[in-house]
Amino acid sequence: MTDSVGASPLAVRALTEAPHVMTGQEMLMGNAYRPWPARITSIRELTAHEKLFEFRLTDERVREAFVHEPGQFVELSLFGVGEVPISITSSPTKQGFIELCVRRTGTVTEQLHRMQCGDIVGLRGPFGRGFPVEQMRGNDILVVAGGLGIAPVRSLINYIHDNRSDFGKVTIVYGSRTPADIMFRDQFEMWRHRKDFDLILTVDEPDDTWDGEVGVVTEPMKKLDINPANTFGAVCGPPVMYRFVVEVMREKNISYDHIYMSFERHMKCGMGKCGHCQIGHQYCCIDGPVFNYWEAKNIQGSM
Amino acid sequence: MLYRVMDKSQLPALVRGFMESYEVVAPVKRGERYVFDTVDSPDQIALDYPQTASSAKKYLFPPVEAMMRFDARANLVQDFVQEVKPRVIFGAHACDISGFNRLDLALAQGKYTDPYYAARRAATLVVGISCMPTDTCFCQLMGADEVQFGYDLFLYDIGDKYLVSMSSVEATNILEACCEIAEATDDDRRAFRLATRRHQAAFNPDIPHVEDVPMLMDVFHFDPFWDELGGRCLSCSACASVCPTCYCFDIRDVLQEDSDAGVRERTWDACTSPDFALVAGGHNFRPTGRDRVRHRMYHKLNGFMVNHDRMLCTGCGRCVAACKADIDPIQVLRFFDEKGARDDR
Repeated sequence: MTDSVGASPLAVRALTEAPHVMTGQEMLMGNAYRPWPARITSIRELTAHEKLFEFRLTDERVREAFVHEPGQFVELSLFGVGEVPISITSSPTKQGFIELCVRRTGTVTEQLHRMQCGDIVGLRGPFGRGFPVEQMRGNDILVVAGGLGIAPVRSLINYIHDNRSDFGKVTIVYGSRTPADIMFRDQFEMWRHRKDFDLILTVDEPDDTWDGEVGVVTEPMKKLDINPANTFGAVCGPPVMYRFVVEVMREKNISYDHIYMSFERHMKCGMGKCGHCQIGHQYCCIDGPVFNYWEAKNIQGSM
Repeated sequence: MLYRVMDKSQLPALVRGFMESYEVVAPVKRGERYVFDTVDSPDQIALDYPQTASSAKKYLFPPVEAMMRFDARANLVQDFVQEVKPRVIFGAHACDISGFNRLDLALAQGKYTDPYYAARRAATLVVGISCMPTDTCFCQLMGADEVQFGYDLFLYDIGDKYLVSMSSVEATNILEACCEIAEATDDDRRAFRLATRRHQAAFNPDIPHVEDVPMLMDVFHFDPFWDELGGRCLSCSACASVCPTCYCFDIRDVLQEDSDAGVRERTWDACTSPDFALVAGGHNFRPTGRDRVRHRMYHKLNGFMVNHDRMLCTGCGRCVAACKADIDPIQVLRFFDEKGARDDR
């Protein structure tokens, strides 16, 4: 092996302090594997297993460059434990803060659940392709969520809420296992009497106090009166749910390319490299996680 | 493409010329096998090798690589600069270079550039050498039997001389400084054509040439063939480690002992590992050997093609030798070749 290396070595950098001349976008994209510090600004318990965390990126340039679409996700790092992909549950209309709804289910999320306001985590992103809100504008929206699937679609729901006059009729069908598992119930309760949102909550296992629907989300969906020509579907839930929900949407004659679904996979790098989130010929992390039904039909193993 | 000829006797001078400024990696003989390794003398290089056991991708994409250092207590990235050693991969076959070019598409191009791969690729010169196919070579079926770019020099063996394709200033400067190079004569040109003709004729005719492989991968996606092929998989990841184009990886944090400091590193991973498509909460999107082997072949022979217009297989045949369960793309080609030929229902 030779030691007489004359050509100048190249270097890969993951600097703590970026040079002052860099813009926030350059900081985010320079080495997109590099997480940026974010402070926990609020923690709210949603259920026994899920908490809503609010974060604020500490660097002003990064914070301003971080602009997401409803349906996109971030990679959250707890150094020494690891990194996990989590969908952003806040709307881009809420500026300067990022909300993540996190279920306690693995080492990173377990550790995150033990953290407190003021603690620092690492965030990088936003990654992926979200819901096509520009295309959806002016149309009726039918949101169907199951369980933790409410997290990514809440970003869309809140976006619609903040731009309410830009959208037509909005119907939300949200299924949970038990009444205690319903997330964001206070937010939804507040809307219960509003005329501009139709909210249908359903549970698999009702308790004595439950006065909503019982059973799978597809049952109340079947009773809905839908104008297929100008309706967009937005679906997220456990893997088994998609096929049944999409079937009902197709029965209602919603076009293949108006049914949007957010898929769950293990997006490890977020950048279309590591391969973990591949579905057929696509990467969930950059081609999705939101795909329309036509695209999904063309991807081997998507549903 | 610019080309000159040089006498074969000048090869050691060329290697030594590179050694002045670069670490030189080349095929060397280890027991019965050939491997890419660092050399400190031209004598160690076995340029007339059939195929190396594993590819040279480790020099662009190491099996374990530090991505950043961190302070786990503060949850912050620490200053970190990783220097990349300037290197020459000397004596790569066309399929190897074609493999690099396909890795470029996956890792260096697209919306995101992988900065680690890109830095190594930029710091690495590639000198190609023409070859003769082995029994397990099928690069001509994967469009990888010849390369037009992605190298700095390419040496075509034309008998006593090399016809040298010169593709970069950096390598040409060294070539011109160390070797006598000449304009090709008509005899040289004829010798080159003869060599390409001989190469073309030497491929194993038993490996079937099948048309429309990507479409066949979709059409026969649910054929019982995949249960049989995937059912044999031992999940050992040997195929992915020797493969010149497998680039899947895992990211993990490694804490230093008795300290809050640590390193985030990435390691090679393989889609044939049972946990590869596992998500939080325990759902596995590819729970069986059938799902995983089919996905690996699908990405090689369909998925990458759909996105990049070329296969993610270079037909180098390394996995044919590495797999203990006889799972490789040739098996897939044979399956397509036999389908409809005998049982024409």
